[in-house]
Amino acid sequence: MTASSSGALPQPRRFLRLLNFRDSLWLLAPIATLYGIFALIPFALIVRFAFADGGTHFATVLESRILVRVATNTVVISLMTTVVALVLGYILAAGLWRAGPKMQRVMLAFVMLPFWTAVLIKNFAWAALLQDNGLANTILQGLGLTNGPVTLLHNRLAVIIGMVHYVLPYAVFPIYSAMQAIDRKVERAARSLGAGTPSVIWFVILPLTLPGVYSAALLVFVVSVGFFITPVILGSPADMMIANLVNYYVRELVDFNAGAALALMILGAVVPLIVLQQSMGRGGRHGAH
Amino acid sequence: MSAPRRLEVNEVWKSYGGDLYAVRDVSFVLEPGEFLTLLGPSGSGKTTTLMMIAGFETVSRGSIRIDGRDIADQSPEHRNFGIVFQGYALFPHMNVAENVAFPLRMKGMGKRERLIKAAEMLEKVGLEGFAQRRPHELSGGQQQRVALSRALVFDPDALLLDEPLGALDRKLREQLQIEIKELQKRIGISVLLVTHDQEEAMMMSDRIAVMADGGIVQMGTPADVYLHPATPFVAGFLGETNFLPGLCQGASEGYVSVKFRNGEIGRARPPRFGGVPATGDKALVSIRPERVRILKPGETMDSVIEGRVVSGTFLGRHARYIVEAEGQQVVVSTTEWSEATAVPPGTAVRLGWSSDDAQSLADVKV
Amino acid sequence: MALTENRPFPLGRMLLYAACAPILLLLVLPTLIIVPMALTKGQLIQFPPIWISIHSFTDYLADETWVSSTIVSFKISILAVVIGATAGSFAAIGLHKRDFPGRNIVAGLILAPIIIPGIVLALGDFLLLAPMHLIGSWTTIAILHALLVTPYVFISVQTSLTVGLSPTLIRSARSLGAGRLAVLRFVHWPAIRPGLLAGAVLGFAVSFDEVVLALFMQGSTTVTLPVRMFQAIEYDLTPKIMAAASLFIALALLGLTVQALTAKRARPA
Repeated sequence: MTASSSGALPQPRRFLRLLNFRDSLWLLAPIATLYGIFALIPFALIVRFAFADGGTHFATVLESRILVRVATNTVVISLMTTVVALVLGYILAAGLWRAGPKMQRVMLAFVMLPFWTAVLIKNFAWAALLQDNGLANTILQGLGLTNGPVTLLHNRLAVIIGMVHYVLPYAVFPIYSAMQAIDRKVERAARSLGAGTPSVIWFVILPLTLPGVYSAALLVFVVSVGFFITPVILGSPADMMIANLVNYYVRELVDFNAGAALALMILGAVVPLIVLQQSMGRGGRHGAH
Repeated sequence: MSAPRRLEVNEVWKSYGGDLYAVRDVSFVLEPGEFLTLLGPSGSGKTTTLMMIAGFETVSRGSIRIDGRDIADQSPEHRNFGIVFQGYALFPHMNVAENVAFPLRMKGMGKRERLIKAAEMLEKVGLEGFAQRRPHELSGGQQQRVALSRALVFDPDALLLDEPLGALDRKLREQLQIEIKELQKRIGISVLLVTHDQEEAMMMSDRIAVMADGGIVQMGTPADVYLHPATPFVAGFLGETNFLPGLCQGASEGYVSVKFRNGEIGRARPPRFGGVPATGDKALVSIRPERVRILKPGETMDSVIEGRVVSGTFLGRHARYIVEAEGQQVVVSTTEWSEATAVPPGTAVRLGWSSDDAQSLADVKV
Repeated sequence: MALTENRPFPLGRMLLYAACAPILLLLVLPTLIIVPMALTKGQLIQFPPIWISIHSFTDYLADETWVSSTIVSFKISILAVVIGATAGSFAAIGLHKRDFPGRNIVAGLILAPIIIPGIVLALGDFLLLAPMHLIGSWTTIAILHALLVTPYVFISVQTSLTVGLSPTLIRSARSLGAGRLAVLRFVHWPAIRPGLLAGAVLGFAVSFDEVVLALFMQGSTTVTLPVRMFQAIEYDLTPKIMAAASLFIALALLGLTVQALTAKRARPA
């Protein structure tokens, strides 16, 4: 296919290409070493620890009452984070898309600043903002909405706020790039055919950006599931998430086998989503031409 | 089908601020049922003019009217033009039927009714059976027909075509030109076409408005603008031509006589505007290659000049001679060619033309 | 005169901006309050600050454990970037314009360390390194952080190559007598430089901010700055946190600036 489309001499060309490939395989040696030793072997160890003594460690994890609670927490918090991040992310992406070059640069800086800020710092700042004598309560009382301080910290809401803040750039960019791929003439065509702004958004822009939304949703959800620090800093013990549970097994109970079993279960849930997200990223665009 | 309306573009200007005008003082009328083409190179303001009519660009000065009603303040979705965009701009997420039914849906027509109407429209362009396909599953020509159906299905006041055939290969383009022309006649809609392709313009249009630097230079029937161009730009843009400079020797019987560099005198039609030049004024005559003949011995015409053949090339449909005459190269194109009658290089020849086929040009820049 | 400017929907655009403004504000607000908070007088962390003071900074600089954590963090991130930049850019060059079955899988695997939950990686490496007594060494943490740096460098170098390198350039260099290393030096290197810089800066930030791996691998003398802060936030809420946080903000602003500058140059025409 490639050989015939690029013209003459398919056979020698293909052969050369293969030779070339061999030629530069050594470039993959550093990454192969790094990943092999520090990612692949550890993965094998997790499998070995998890399956040591048959399936008993999975049973340990599955039978612990805390698992159901933590798993539910994780799914609920991650889903809520995903939904909120998608809504806000869609609005921001649309703003970026529509903005002139100068405005776009400013907005981009605003979106990227938290991306560059350590998760610890962001969470800590939210803790300061949401605490009883923090800015949020000061404003609420200043506006006369509440009499005394409202508990905003160490609850699920605070966790979701902190997580949305973290994942928002992950939601913005897939959606934004789906928007950029839209041919502006298509939009003009819709207008010339009688579609007002709401119709253009509903019938044209929304459907054309859906692949980006799906991709963003999967990415945000996967990232959310792995949260570890935020539930500790912003949540209550009741908001413990799955990564905290692994930590609990390993560092508190020093039960590596149960920790490994749980880690494998997380991977089992997350990897299909990652694969789906990655394959969508490539095939998700409509062939406009 | 509702009756087509009269589109009037009246002294329209477009500026993006400052003294730069993308469109300057453009006026024309698209009569009901007429096929008018804005022809010009890129940057001539033709697409900007179209987009102002469509409502995607504001009008800086002037008015655009439909049946006398000014539509300048209407947003694009409230104007009633069917537009075929460059690259078609089909909705990639909708199938063919949904694409064509879209404008009807926007008008609030029910699903059954609009799909029936869309199917009827698709039948008119020979796309029955493609209703369920997605645009990317269609060939360029088929996509073009879908775009056309979508732009026509809601009875627009006029059809606006923005370089609709640019992406297609030559053969398909010619075929679609004929199809569009036939469809237009059958439906009776007015069409405003924007193109840079002079052959396309000549083939399809009732009238052509040649544009350059934001303004209309000349407007007329294809034959008129081709054979009797007003300016060197028009003459050159609408196909190959010979420019012969000289000095005006006076006018008589509706023609001007021009004395060329070598002192020979030829006759041509007077300029289209700017008045008849005075004796002694500079003059420029344009003669199409196929209107110049290599005269046989003893044969004579209104205007005759002498020259020497530099080269002769057979090109299939016609043959092309380069002749050195009047201190320059003159191109002569002829369909009468055989190996026996070919004139070899170096031969001294006489060139002749009919005064009606030579056009002296107005002394303006474009 | 008319409603429509060259850009469509001015009214819609106003509404859109109005909707974006509060979201953008919430995005940067937490970052913006950190520095004023660091300037609070008193032992409690508070915003708005009551009195201006720099005692959190002086406390921080006077505390040996915090200073040594800062130094360790820098050491780790620098080494992590060196390793990750090498592995990531070599891999990007090696895979550039190659089509073979499973290419997408390989590319996906390269990105895996930054997508899968960090705790899984931390546990696996703990299981590997603990028996070898390699926990608590700063080089260990640096190497593991390199796993996180590599994907970022890989992505941005890949982008640079797609934008800035045509395969004909390599072929013509080869036909002009350039050997493998000369091609790397004179063709690839100039093409990847912007991407390498951008990826390395981002990678540095990722490593410097990382908590989970560093928490699992910490030793008595190798507590990274984020880990120290995390533990301080959990237990004693000292204002030194604020001083350290200010350092993070400064680094974030620096990273953002470098990114903006390189993005301008790397943008395709």
